Amino acid sequence: MNDILTIILKDTFTLTQLKTRLKALKVYLIKEFFGGDIEQSPSDLNWLSNLPQSLYQQFTKDNVYKTFEDIEEAVHTLPVLTVYLTFEPNENSLYQIGSFVRKLYATSLLLDIKLDLNLLAGCAFVWKGVFRDYSLRAKLEEKKPEIINNFKKFLR
Amino acid sequence: MLELLQQPAILISSIITLIALSLYFDEYFERKRSSETQKKVFQDTKQKSAELLQAAEEAQTNLLSEGNFVTKQLIQEYSDKLSDLIKNSGNSINSAQGQLIAFMEDLQKRSSDFEEASKISTEKRISQLFEHLEEKLSDFLIQTEQKTATSIELELKSVRQLIETYKNAQLKMIDENIIAMMEQTLSIILTKKLSLKDQLDLVYEALEKAKIEKFIV
Repeated sequence: MNDILTIILKDTFTLTQLKTRLKALKVYLIKEFFGGDIEQSPSDLNWLSNLPQSLYQQFTKDNVYKTFEDIEEAVHTLPVLTVYLTFEPNENSLYQIGSFVRKLYATSLLLDIKLDLNLLAGCAFVWKGVFRDYSLRAKLEEKKPEIINNFKKFLR
Repeated sequence: MLELLQQPAILISSIITLIALSLYFDEYFERKRSSETQKKVFQDTKQKSAELLQAAEEAQTNLLSEGNFVTKQLIQEYSDKLSDLIKNSGNSINSAQGQLIAFMEDLQKRSSDFEEASKISTEKRISQLFEHLEEKLSDFLIQTEQKTATSIELELKSVRQLIETYKNAQLKMIDENIIAMMEQTLSIILTKKLSLKDQLDLVYEALEKAKIEKFIV
């Protein structure tokens, strides 16, 4: 089960991605084992086609549901870093940020990406329930007295 | 004649005629006597009336003559008394006139004296009043000058305070809004000017800083 999750997490960096991809894999396998005509998106099919054969071999008709239950339980235990961004990242940006995070921290770290335009630039994080702002807004707030004094020099 | 007696109707008629004649003559004489009596009574009455009238006229004449005398006497008396009265009244009026003239002269004199005294008193009071007024005016001017100076000072102080308050309020408002204005301006500019690479670099920088600060462990 851990092998499966490790394989999936190699190119899956966000919580949303993980949930979507797990759902796609589940749908695909159920269709394979039990039949059905549920259509899947090209991006899902593309991702599924890039998965190693060894992963598929771990699923059987009998364990498919149980294995997914275990995977979902394991997902709940994964560390999640909430990242507030000032732009909406595309797949490539997510890959770049995710890779950087994985390189810098743990390989199993998941990102929960959220949008906050009030940050102006940069980002803010929530880690284990604690918020920390590393954005330009925080820097402005930090330098507020200095900025006001500079403005006052012009006003007086 | 026998023939007549033999006819009773004629006899009766003759008797009745005789009786009627007798009664007529009797009545005639009776009336004649009465008329004469009446005539005599009338004559007497007329005479008596004339006598009475004469007596009355005499009496009236007497009365009139007596009345005229009394009237003349009364008029004389009244005339005398009226003359006395007029004479007395004239004296009284003359006396009263004299008194009135004397009173008026006295009054005039007093009025003149009073006027003189009043004039002197008024002049004195006016003089005092002017002196007093001069003093008051001088005091008032000094006080007004002092008050005006104080008032101007207070007004200036108030205006200065007002300017200071306004200035502080404006500066406070600017202080409060400078950052918001800057944020808004930066938000507009950075959205357009900041590239994806720059954005990603800022994220990497933040991640590294978080690691240095051991925020993410």
